[in-house]
Amino acid sequence: MSLCLSRGLSQLPLALWAPQTLHTTTACHYMPVRTFGIKSVTTPKPSRFNVSPDLPILKSTPAAALERKAYTLPLRSGAVAIKKGMTGIYDAQTGTRIPCTVLQLDRVEVVSHKTREKHGYYAVQVGAGWKHPSNMTKSLLGHFSAQGLSPKRHVYEFRVKDESGLPPVGHMINADWFQEGQYIDARSNTKGKGFTGVMKRHGFGGQDRSHGVSLTHRSLGSAGPGQGGGSRVYPGKKMAGNMGNEQNTVQNLKILKVDAVNGIVVVTGMLFLPTTLSPGYFRPSRLLIGFVQVLSVVLRDAWSGYKMQSRSLGLRCQQQQRSLHNVSRLAKIFGNVLLQLYWLLERRLYMIHE
Amino acid sequence: MASISPIMRQLGYLRPLLKTPESILGRRTISTAYTPKSDAAPLPNKLPRSFMSQLPTRLRPDQAPKKLKIYPPPASTRNICKEPINAVTQSQLSTLDPTGERKALFDYRRNPRSVKPGDILRVTFKNGDPFSGVCLSIRLRGVDTAFLLRNELTRVGVEMWVKVFSPDVQSVEIVQRSEKRKRRARLYYMRQPRHDMRSVENIVSNYLKKKSALTGQRRQRR
Repeated sequence: MSLCLSRGLSQLPLALWAPQTLHTTTACHYMPVRTFGIKSVTTPKPSRFNVSPDLPILKSTPAAALERKAYTLPLRSGAVAIKKGMTGIYDAQTGTRIPCTVLQLDRVEVVSHKTREKHGYYAVQVGAGWKHPSNMTKSLLGHFSAQGLSPKRHVYEFRVKDESGLPPVGHMINADWFQEGQYIDARSNTKGKGFTGVMKRHGFGGQDRSHGVSLTHRSLGSAGPGQGGGSRVYPGKKMAGNMGNEQNTVQNLKILKVDAVNGIVVVTGMLFLPTTLSPGYFRPSRLLIGFVQVLSVVLRDAWSGYKMQSRSLGLRCQQQQRSLHNVSRLAKIFGNVLLQLYWLLERRLYMIHE
Repeated sequence: MASISPIMRQLGYLRPLLKTPESILGRRTISTAYTPKSDAAPLPNKLPRSFMSQLPTRLRPDQAPKKLKIYPPPASTRNICKEPINAVTQSQLSTLDPTGERKALFDYRRNPRSVKPGDILRVTFKNGDPFSGVCLSIRLRGVDTAFLLRNELTRVGVEMWVKVFSPDVQSVEIVQRSEKRKRRARLYYMRQPRHDMRSVENIVSNYLKKKSALTGQRRQRR
């Protein structure tokens, strides 16, 4: 009983009357003991910290992080493609023209796996294209050689949820890895614009053409307030600088066409990276330079549970369940007809989604 | 310091005259002397294993760098299909224009009987009113091939881009050819009041009358 009491209450009488016995009882659990009688005048305060033994386990562990991410990670790998240009596709039913981007998959193969046991997470390492062995470091060459693969120009990693999303090493990812009607996310580096001014980079208005303005028609005005504001330039001030050539992800592009023989995937809309010209258009050495900048569209399979898509899907499911609940309540009142109608509607919705 | 009288002074410094070139060469400092590097002594053929650890790793026979096997690349889709845009375009055209009729009608660079800028055209659509006007330009872009028509409706100049291969376009008729070959491919000067053709309604209605007389059909709505 005495040990459970707070320090000030428990110590005094025990310390005065039976110091030896106290020492024996606290052998396993150390508690500072006063051996002479000074009584604390302050009343004991409850601890500010929650120290009860049945607290939940902290969520900052790698295992907990993986568990949290499992909901948003895709089930299978993406692919690496080359942007070949844009064209239009006519919808057979409506006759409307859909602007689209043509991508080509060139020798995309699974190079290796990242596993939770060894690396802490599951991912598929995917390589694409071909690079001359003499242009490659020996360590990377050995990596490909050990897997029995040709040297790859581009190597990317795609995180997946679990082991079931790891195709065997050497598995060729063709255009038929995707299906028409699926939605994907495409990631690439944007076109580099070089060192640009604020008007182009941040859309500033510039200054007057006249009214006494001289030589600063396209420059930013003031970089910040004076004495009242600290007489300094605040961090993050928009200024002139390098524009473009930064990573950009476009989400939910619909796949319009898949041609496995030619490795062609056609997606809606545009991607903000430069187009490669047809091979042989440039001299090979030039092509190599252009290649690295250009050939880096990373396709991610959004349909099979990528972040945004799956979140919106999850939300949709919740909403549907909620509305279903309401409707079933209504159905009790209005009879079974309404419910059946609703089911029909639901089925149609699903068909549209699929 | 007492100066030496000029009589006592030495007349000349004669010692260098006694030196031969050989003696000059032979007097080199130690830093410039060249000693050729001795050749590395070859390793004994049958070095016992116990001595291997004394060698640097690169010289040990079992630690020699491995010869990497370079695997050949698989067949490339880039070689199979060098121009994917063309492939997509062709697959589209095979359904949109199976006979190649529409393509030939606007391929003004190759087909002498095609539509030329300056011709008056009449386009009928599947959904919507027909439109007629002067062709100001033809844009040859594969499946996105289009032409620009200019007309005047309610005394307001109207222009319309029409996609040649759009499924919405039902037919394109040449109402009237231009008398002379235009010396420009893009007739944008016809937007100027001085060159504007204004309405082509009369020409088109005449054409439709003639056409209905020939075919014996009721006059269509313009």
